Amino acid sequence: MKYSELTRRYFETAANAGELAGPGVFRGAAGDHAQGTWVQFDLRIDAGAVSAAKFLAFACPHTIAVAAWLTEQAVGRPLKPKLPESVQALRERFAVPVEKMGRLLIIEDAWLAAVLPAIDSRA
Amino acid sequence: MPVYLDNASSTPVDARVAARMAEVLSSETEYGNPASASHDYGDIAAALVESARAQVAAAVGAAATEIVWTSGATEANNLAIFGVAEYYRERGRHIITARTEHKAVLDPCRELARRGWEISYLVPDREGLLDPDQVAAALRPDTVLVTLMHVNNEIGVVQNIAAVGAICARHGGAWLHVDAAQSVGKCPVHFASLGADLMSLSSHKVYGPKGVGALAISQRGGVGGRGRVQLTALQFGGGQEGALRAGTLPTHQVVGMGLAFELAAKTSSVETARVAHLQQRLWRGLAALGGVLRNGSAARSVPHLLNVSFEGVEGESLLAAIRPYVAVSTGSACASALAEPSYVLRALGRSERLSESSLRFGLGRTTTEADIDTAVATLSREVTRLRKVAGVTPAA
Repeated sequence: MKYSELTRRYFETAANAGELAGPGVFRGAAGDHAQGTWVQFDLRIDAGAVSAAKFLAFACPHTIAVAAWLTEQAVGRPLKPKLPESVQALRERFAVPVEKMGRLLIIEDAWLAAVLPAIDSRA
Repeated sequence: MPVYLDNASSTPVDARVAARMAEVLSSETEYGNPASASHDYGDIAAALVESARAQVAAAVGAAATEIVWTSGATEANNLAIFGVAEYYRERGRHIITARTEHKAVLDPCRELARRGWEISYLVPDREGLLDPDQVAAALRPDTVLVTLMHVNNEIGVVQNIAAVGAICARHGGAWLHVDAAQSVGKCPVHFASLGADLMSLSSHKVYGPKGVGALAISQRGGVGGRGRVQLTALQFGGGQEGALRAGTLPTHQVVGMGLAFELAAKTSSVETARVAHLQQRLWRGLAALGGVLRNGSAARSVPHLLNVSFEGVEGESLLAAIRPYVAVSTGSACASALAEPSYVLRALGRSERLSESSLRFGLGRTTTEADIDTAVATLSREVTRLRKVAGVTPAA
């Protein structure tokens, strides 16, 4: 399979791969190793904004690249109950084949699983 | 370019073969139609074709008159399977094959099933090996064909074809077809000794050109006076190759295959020993990573193939990560965006995930120790990286 330059760059670098721990860290995961795609996000929230983000992914290059990009984009942004960019926009940005839309939805589920408890905790 | 370790898919054309083919292509006397018996140009081309036929036959322990040229092993498999099925359709419509066969055998069998034939699919053990008694148990009075490969194209295991041949001979009604596309130059191949009635051969797996192959058709009579195997032709239009495979023969292609087979036969034993050393070096290097599983019997396989599964990495990512450095085949069929796990590895009992995260290393004549070391270093680096990204620590 061919990948876009952006996808290949974020896949190969996979910056922010890892985990966060400590106060203010919210973790969300979705997917299943046995099904071939699993994604986890750790977000550190300070004063209503993301101050640090990490991810783990057992997944295809597109999924790893998108997860890595999201963790990069999220830092410094205010906490919102949605992805920093829509699934459709991510699909276009990373030239994700339509057959892999389900994997982007797993990313979204993992992201929301981390973000929503963080928002709830501020309510 | 990355290190090439996909020789089981195709091999580079040997320089001597390419030079000889170029001579034929540029010759002022060798371009005639081999079927043109009315002038010297045709006779010269026909002599080249017959010389190549003798080379191929000698390399595989067959008689020259038993070799029929085809466009490759896929066509040879189709000619064997459909040819037997059609010729013997009134005697029986049952065929035996294995789940781990190449698609060039499985797809013709599926097509025959669609047309009303019944196919029995044997399941190998966890090492990929068939017990010949499985064939004996599956044979029926209406079985007309057993079609099995000699060397498996994904895992390299060598089936006990001679034992199956003896079983088919005792049965009396079932012909034995062997796909030997991966065998020549990698292990001894002797058509007569294998007891096969039909054997498919490929040129481009043996440092010859693509686009040419052969089907060996036994002229030996079967046990019990059943005579020789007969085939119904699949294409018509000129009566070439004993009316079994119509079409003008590509002289330069068959000359290339003939020389490639001759060279393979001459160098096979020395080359196999050299490749076995490289394979051990590769396996030791990969196994040191931990969480690496070998697929197929190590004791009964050719050294040119090594198939391994990597625990804790996703298959598509693994292939993408190593692609710039090492050219190998994946255990997945990546014909679409979503890869399908190898049906061969699934038949061996590997999980879907491990089947997807498997790689087939095809070693060959051009493979060096430096190539192996590059592959080991690349896999070690990328598997470790992907496991870290996945947060996975494989069991030691």
